Amino acid sequence: MKTLYVEGDSLLHRLAPRTKLLGLAAAGIALFLFRSIPPLALAAVISVAIYASLGIGLRQSLARLRPIFLTIAVVALFTLLVGSVEEAATVLLRLTSLMLLAAAVTATTGIGEFIDEITLAAWPLERLGLVKAADIGLSIGLVIRFVPEILDRYHAIQDAHRARGLKPRVLTLAVPLIILTLKNADEIAAAIDARGIRAQR
Amino acid sequence: MTTRDLVLAALFAAIIVSLGLLPPITLGFIPVPITAQSLGVMLAGVVLGSKRGTFAVLLVLLLAAIGLPVLSGGRGGLAVFAAPTTGYLIGWVFAAFVTGYIAEHFVDRGQTGLVQGVNFFLAALIGGVVVLYAFGITYLALVTGLGFSKAFLGSLAFIPGDCFKALIAALAGRAVMVGYPLLPQRA
Amino acid sequence: MDIRFEEAEARFDGRIVLHPLTLSLSERRIGIIGLNGSGKTTFARMINGLVIPSSGHVVVNSFDTSKDGEKVRAETGFIFQNPQNQIILPILKEDIALGLKNRKLSRQETDVAVARVLQRFGISHLAGRRAHELSGGELQLAALASVLVTEPDILIMDEPTNQLDLKNRELVKRTIEGLDENIMVISHDLELIEDFDRVLLFHEGRLAADGRPADTIRRYRELTR
Repeated sequence: MKTLYVEGDSLLHRLAPRTKLLGLAAAGIALFLFRSIPPLALAAVISVAIYASLGIGLRQSLARLRPIFLTIAVVALFTLLVGSVEEAATVLLRLTSLMLLAAAVTATTGIGEFIDEITLAAWPLERLGLVKAADIGLSIGLVIRFVPEILDRYHAIQDAHRARGLKPRVLTLAVPLIILTLKNADEIAAAIDARGIRAQR
Repeated sequence: MTTRDLVLAALFAAIIVSLGLLPPITLGFIPVPITAQSLGVMLAGVVLGSKRGTFAVLLVLLLAAIGLPVLSGGRGGLAVFAAPTTGYLIGWVFAAFVTGYIAEHFVDRGQTGLVQGVNFFLAALIGGVVVLYAFGITYLALVTGLGFSKAFLGSLAFIPGDCFKALIAALAGRAVMVGYPLLPQRA
Repeated sequence: MDIRFEEAEARFDGRIVLHPLTLSLSERRIGIIGLNGSGKTTFARMINGLVIPSSGHVVVNSFDTSKDGEKVRAETGFIFQNPQNQIILPILKEDIALGLKNRKLSRQETDVAVARVLQRFGISHLAGRRAHELSGGELQLAALASVLVTEPDILIMDEPTNQLDLKNRELVKRTIEGLDENIMVISHDLELIEDFDRVLLFHEGRLAADGRPADTIRRYRELTR
């Protein structure tokens, strides 16, 4: 799976992940405090400038932002139909700014940095006995590891349908996919314990 | 959480991610193409129960947040949490929990197949549709200033597809329970 | 290596899978054979504490599996039937490093240990590959590397040549022959264990024969006739 991180040496790349995340949270709150168009328009211009400074390129940026921008645009359009121009512009500017800033943090922060940050953030929860911080990194690794295998299995089940002249249906695909995948769980769990990866309580 | 629970949740998160990578399905009688990913959220509750199901969904959202394109249509990154539809993503967590909780408490191995199926359907419908839309519509209403009734109106088109998914989740949940029982049972 | 079974019995859901067994093992290379469902995998899993005896004790290098699971697992490495499920993280070198996590090594020490074990099995070129893309033989070597990086005293392998083509089977066989660890191999591939120091035969949950490979294998053939 390709991550959305982009190699680079911009100011945002060099900032600590925590600074970026706290900055994003602050920006998110600020964007919802502004209620008039001029400051929101200014925020949108600044957000575009920040995103542009990363040097991702127009085509790549469009590919990344289009799906989310489309939902924002559709909702803004709907707001225009049932509300006022001002309301629609507020929604459009506010959410587009937030989207750009969030995408900028994502593009400049590697997965490893995020996992380190999450592990640190989870430490108080570990003290309370709710989660084990190290489990988070392990779980993320497990998911990334098994997605390609599940897709392969999905195609194999699809082929098995075709070979027997059956029309593939959501239900008859999903059920064997789930059973076959989860049946591995016992052996994977045994392997994790056998290798002493997850120190026992 | 035991290692097995952790692995089950991670594998199910991988299934939810995989479902999002498959092309959306168009059903003849519903105008909007449905993605199998939100079906995965209901399935997580129905198959794994509340605790592991919730953890599976949280993992998917965590992967999206740290920049992996794991949501349907290749979406990912923190920007997905800046969309007007973010309420639905937050709702996933509670949808899986409620679906799982109801399934754990109302589906029993001693029941007939029909009763099990109906109970699974109600679990998926209450968790995966009622709870999910409560979060999705509230968020949409607040973030856009549209107000509840208009936000509800705007979401209406998707509800039939999600009810259909609840039906699929119920049938699949029963089939998985027969083939590989995992749901924690009442004492 | 010193493994002792003391009246150890295993049950699943009340059904006896392994009848009470008393046995002591110290040979360097031990083979385990028997029909499917004869109890041999359960026997092997009892040695690294994945299965705890329902009565009796299993003691590995003076650690009781029911009390010191963590220590027993540090003494024993286990290669599962399907190595596909054994590689836990997406990238091979990350997965191998995972086993060292509890050692609290520095990043540099970890890198050195990982590089050394990859080199040992001739798979340095696979370090950055996705586990998902490895072939059957590569996967088996990767599993060996991921387990032996922690330097266990005993290595248990559950049907290591299962599902391999002839070329990969030869590769794995040669690799096993070259291991200087204490090894214990469960196999249907009788050729693999024919020059081992000791071979155990399980049948219907009991130890049916125990001794030199030729004798045990002969007894196995008689049983299945």
